[in-house]
Amino acid sequence: MIPIEAVIVLGLLLFAIGFVGVVVRKNLVVMLMSLELLLNGANVILVGLGRRLDSPRGSVFALFVIIMAVSEAAVGFALVLAYFRQKKSYDVDALDDLKG
Amino acid sequence: MITLAVFALFAALAVAAAVLVVVQKNAMHSVLYLALTVLATSGVFFTLQAEYLGAIQILVYAGGIVVLYVFVIVIVNLKEIVPERRPLLPKLVLVAVPVAVGVEVAYLLIARGFPAAPGRAEGHGFTAVAETLFGSYLFPFELASILLLAVLVGAIIVARRKLVHDPD
Repeated sequence: MIPIEAVIVLGLLLFAIGFVGVVVRKNLVVMLMSLELLLNGANVILVGLGRRLDSPRGSVFALFVIIMAVSEAAVGFALVLAYFRQKKSYDVDALDDLKG
Repeated sequence: MITLAVFALFAALAVAAAVLVVVQKNAMHSVLYLALTVLATSGVFFTLQAEYLGAIQILVYAGGIVVLYVFVIVIVNLKEIVPERRPLLPKLVLVAVPVAVGVEVAYLLIARGFPAAPGRAEGHGFTAVAETLFGSYLFPFELASILLLAVLVGAIIVARRKLVHDPD
């Protein structure tokens, strides 16, 4: 039996690494990848809690999170492609059109 | 005992690969490490007896999302490595904040202990998941299909090359 603390700490680690990636990196594609890491960490915790509470809801919620991650990746990449066509760059520093 | 060892192996693999995703300078290497993280996470799901989710993770994440990332990196030609300029001090602060949040939650969890599970166990096998998904969560499930349809249409409209001229 896997202790629930170990599962939650693993999820937290993945979440924190993804968070660091979103905040520190400036490459749009790597930022989107870090977002996937973040959602993965949340999924690990959901599944661990479903196992601990002996409930199917952990898996069901994690399934919805995966569906949302797919949608986010598809729309995010469409936006990255449109942005790349406009600017010929994928650096967030170039995203300053609305700066006063 | 052996389950715990396998869990520890997959967990260490997932964390190491996740760190490499963030650290790599070349985006293509990041994607390959992301694939490794996703596969290791599916191993974690298998050890947690969530077989359905482990299979979905491999099919959708490793087979769908990671391939999508590879295509996009090829299309936008991310081969050349652009150095990311950011001073050291802000970078350290930006790393410290998520780490502090994670350490705080882990500390609270370990110091207080996880509360005992309430009764009414429903099981977490295939049958229980299917009955819950198509019973209590049927409406969100159908909404998810509408969301995916909207994403399909929206992604095509956003990513297409130029506006189509309507003859009218």
